[in-house]
Amino acid sequence: MASDGGSSSLQLPCVFSPKSRQYLAVCAQDGRLRIWNTDSKTINQEYVPSAHLSATCTCIAWGPCRTVKEGPQRKKRKSEAVQVEEKADLLAMGTAAGSVLLYSTAKGTLHCSLDEAHSAGVNCVHWHPEDSVLYSGSDDTNIVEWDLQSGKMRSKWKADRAAVTSLCVSPDGKLLLSAGHVIKMWDLDTKELYRKFTGHSTAVTTLRFATTRPPDSNGLYFVSGAAHDRLISVWQVREDGKDKNSVVSFTLTDEPRHVDLVPSNSKEEAVRLAVVCQDGQLHLFEHFLNGPCKKPFSPSCSVQMADTRESPMPIPMLAAVLGRDSRSVLLAYGNHLQPVIEQVEVNTTERHVCLSRDVKTSLSLTMESTVSKVKTPVVNTKSKVLVPGLPGHQAPLKGSHLEKASEKRKKDTKEMSIAEQLGEIDLSATSSEKVKASLQTDNYAVLLVQGLESNDADILNKVLQTRKEMVIKKTVARLPLSAVLPLVKELTNRLQGHPFAGILMVRWLKAVLMHHTSYLASLPDLVTELGVLYHMIESRVKMFHKLTKLHGKLYLLMTHVATSDSSNMVSEVDHTAKLVYEDESSDENEASGDEVLPEEDSDHWEEEEGMEEDKQSSEEEDEGNRTEPKANGEEDMEHENESEEE
Amino acid sequence: MASYKPTNIPVYPKLGEKVTEETLYWKNYKTPIQIKEFGAVSNIHFSPVTPYNFAVTAFTRIHLYGLLSQEPVKTFTRFKDTAYCGRFRSDGQLLVAGCEDSVVRLFDVSGKVALRMFKGHTKAVHVTDFTSDRYQILTGSDDYTCCLWDIPNSAQLNTYQEHTDYIRCGVTSQLNRDLFVTGSYDHSLKVFDARVDKSVMTINHGHPVESLLLYPSEGLLVSAGGRYVRVWDLLKGGQPLVSLKNHHKTVTCLALSSNGQRLLSGSLDRHVKVYNTTSYKVVHNFDYPAAILSLALAPEDESIVVGMTNSILSIKHRKPSEEAKETAGHQRRRPSYRVYAHRKSYVPKQDDYLVSKPVRQHLAKYDKQLKKFNVSKALDTALETWIRGRKPEITVAVIRELDRRGTLKNALAGRDEQELSRLLSFLIANLVDARFAPVLITAAEMILDIYQSIIGQSPVVDKQLLHLQSLLERELDYQKDLLEVLGMLDTMFASSLPKIELPCSGISTSNGLPQGQSTDVIFPYNKMQSRVFE
Repeated sequence: MASDGGSSSLQLPCVFSPKSRQYLAVCAQDGRLRIWNTDSKTINQEYVPSAHLSATCTCIAWGPCRTVKEGPQRKKRKSEAVQVEEKADLLAMGTAAGSVLLYSTAKGTLHCSLDEAHSAGVNCVHWHPEDSVLYSGSDDTNIVEWDLQSGKMRSKWKADRAAVTSLCVSPDGKLLLSAGHVIKMWDLDTKELYRKFTGHSTAVTTLRFATTRPPDSNGLYFVSGAAHDRLISVWQVREDGKDKNSVVSFTLTDEPRHVDLVPSNSKEEAVRLAVVCQDGQLHLFEHFLNGPCKKPFSPSCSVQMADTRESPMPIPMLAAVLGRDSRSVLLAYGNHLQPVIEQVEVNTTERHVCLSRDVKTSLSLTMESTVSKVKTPVVNTKSKVLVPGLPGHQAPLKGSHLEKASEKRKKDTKEMSIAEQLGEIDLSATSSEKVKASLQTDNYAVLLVQGLESNDADILNKVLQTRKEMVIKKTVARLPLSAVLPLVKELTNRLQGHPFAGILMVRWLKAVLMHHTSYLASLPDLVTELGVLYHMIESRVKMFHKLTKLHGKLYLLMTHVATSDSSNMVSEVDHTAKLVYEDESSDENEASGDEVLPEEDSDHWEEEEGMEEDKQSSEEEDEGNRTEPKANGEEDMEHENESEEE
Repeated sequence: MASYKPTNIPVYPKLGEKVTEETLYWKNYKTPIQIKEFGAVSNIHFSPVTPYNFAVTAFTRIHLYGLLSQEPVKTFTRFKDTAYCGRFRSDGQLLVAGCEDSVVRLFDVSGKVALRMFKGHTKAVHVTDFTSDRYQILTGSDDYTCCLWDIPNSAQLNTYQEHTDYIRCGVTSQLNRDLFVTGSYDHSLKVFDARVDKSVMTINHGHPVESLLLYPSEGLLVSAGGRYVRVWDLLKGGQPLVSLKNHHKTVTCLALSSNGQRLLSGSLDRHVKVYNTTSYKVVHNFDYPAAILSLALAPEDESIVVGMTNSILSIKHRKPSEEAKETAGHQRRRPSYRVYAHRKSYVPKQDDYLVSKPVRQHLAKYDKQLKKFNVSKALDTALETWIRGRKPEITVAVIRELDRRGTLKNALAGRDEQELSRLLSFLIANLVDARFAPVLITAAEMILDIYQSIIGQSPVVDKQLLHLQSLLERELDYQKDLLEVLGMLDTMFASSLPKIELPCSGISTSNGLPQGQSTDVIFPYNKMQSRVFE
């Protein structure tokens, strides 16, 4: 199935070959066409168009699979490799310069080039399912029909006022869909406009026929997706021509990038749709096409992919094709330069599926084993790596090859999103441990200054909650002088409150005072600046003496109880009963939990007695409460004392 | 007649960020409504007339939203490519927008098709605005030119080719129909006069200018570019007044609150800062989930609308004010008031002898209990979940009052497991608070004295006591650290102020000494601070 490249240049074409899905053709950022074998997961062919940088490939379409029986011209080529099975061979590539290239995978070279028909970039190419005819749509608003027997243009007509961004030929080969903003249906025999479908406000990037039935039975459906539109619309070609609006729509999370569809051949068969979105998610739909439905359908299953790191990052999917049964999906994911191809069984009963894959290892493996032509950049050990940071704070990097260091590095930076981004930049050059630490604090210092400037709570939290003494010290040491006072103010705010947080802030404060002593002491208005801090600390430590005493008391009691707990138990049976007097709710727990009496009978008896006493006591207390309004504080005290003595 | 004196609840200074009227004002917004647009929201503009619809420019569309609607009330989609800068005319009837395809389109707000197309620029048009006489349009483009167009016959009146880079912002004067200002990526702002063929003033901002704003009085001009927001005095020939650097990424948009007292700036660092326009200090800060591209305030600050790069439009509406609620309440009460109105309307005559009726004292619940000497109950009331959580100072004040009466022990004693654990959890939450520590430590000691015999019998209480213990341990460690810092500060103060040299040097070694000594020593500083802070 061909994918229509679409108008946006960001969209890189990525297409599986039809039928057997043997190949994946990818045109990457560098303009090279790579054909991957989906069975062996290795690169099969690589082709560099002569003008791959000036006229980048905008769209790819696989020609129909051919057997030996086919047309005479191609039969010759085919006969070179005598194969009975159907095999994808020709690949049409549209370029930004307006030419269409035909690449033969059997020969491994350019088959021919179709030029001089389009004056602007080709947006989409589509093969006729049976005849050796190719259609191409372009920015110059024309559609061109190419005769591949002769390699000449057969006809050309103006299709739209705007660029033609998408094309699709019906399965029976009689109709052609073209789209700019308006979808038009052409009769291919007469080249006359058959129908017009309006509804999309942006360029349509995807067109597919959803059914193979003839158009006379109201049963012909097709789907469309447009740029910046989070919907896939389904349109019905009705005989009476009353087909103004789309009949069904499917919601997506982002604009569609690659669409695969298993058409339905009869009314009883559901259409299956696999859509890969711009955000890298895959959505699977299954729907019986039987008339309009107002409400948009949400996907029956959404598949995401994440890597195996501790904080997983999503891996974007590039393309997906549905297999024979409803569960198997052939996926291509990763980046365009090194896509990973995998046959996946998706559990479609779940609405959301997240697959985790270790891309890095698989990526590097394929690099080494298959592509010998790819040069790995040699990092000169003397070269300096410049890292964004404060001017004057850049530490020179020495290249060395410590894998462990790089691993640790990852762990260090993991907690910070921005620091991580900064860190990613110099991941290529592995650095030794010492240099690494300094680099990291450099990042922290930059972050801290940024956070202080804009008073960003997120950044400040992340920086100030560091526990590493070393990081704190170096960060403070690298802090520009202008940021010192704001930092002290921020710390003053954070020192109030809970000791758990405060203890970290004290470390920062100490580091600041230690490193910038002379600067602070030289401030003329030092007392004003640090007065609040001083006052606050002073009021806090005022109770140090008493608190220490209280802590001592508590400590003594708790340790005493802990040690004498078990020994006291037997002798303190009476005492437990006394507690029961006060505790209404938990006496049962305690009686059963704490007492380790051998005779069960006596235990029960004890409990019952306790319960009775308890009831009595609660009554007593109630009485006491009722009389309380009259009683004064002393009485209250006596009452309490009584209960205690008991 | 002696009356009961209610417990004095001391007012403690609030910790952390100071709560000013500003923060209250700007915090008084509801949770934002988020609307997903079709692309990055590049511009938001409020219609100057009721019902104050606003135009949101995002990708190839302009949506008009009503002030309270969450669905667009109108959509303009007739753009071939990304649209920019949808702006209303001062009468709210017309809307102008630039486009990536260099054509400027003029729409009737009620219509759908462009009324006029202004073709003449050769690159994307990012700036459009109406002049104050309503008959002309100002445009600024990536082809480095800015133009004035006549609306009725869509003719190009004037072209200025003075900037040397993309023009990305511009405003027209609302007082003079011939004046307008443009800002460009060539770091400069230029003031143009349509009566003259060239700019009348050039100001260097120092960074690519992203946004411009004229004060209603038009004496001051605000420009944003790079990380800086700068204010210029136009009447003094473009003299710089203030330079604000409160963002850590490029500032992309500016807005003025409706009374002109506050300036707002939005930036790629995801913050919106609110400045006071007299002191130019940041008085409030909003956080948003993504980099901010556009910002607008509804009239009377009724809502803040922010557009972000992740194509989300966030709308914050102001909560209905207290006054509105109160008036509603009054209306309900009015009938009963009428019944008594005639009696109250009596005006005392000269000879009348007035006997004032004693005002009935209204007491809080805990005060009522205290008045009746129900100490346990008073404490219970003060420990109610709401008071305990929200106003711990009330609980503490009641405990202090009980302590003053000498009945705290009674109040604390005789509690069952549930009540005791409630007390303990209050202690755990507030014991380390410096404001409450003196009172609560006494209470904690009493609790330990009273209940030491039952420790080890209830797992719940034991757990809490252990928790308390570990908290105290932390706090003590923390205070030890703080004492060290205090010592450092002492040394620092001493070295900076040689006048008070002798007592200081003696003291700084005496860290951690009992209270009496250290207060003596620190006394001079306290004096100094009080002088400074009062």
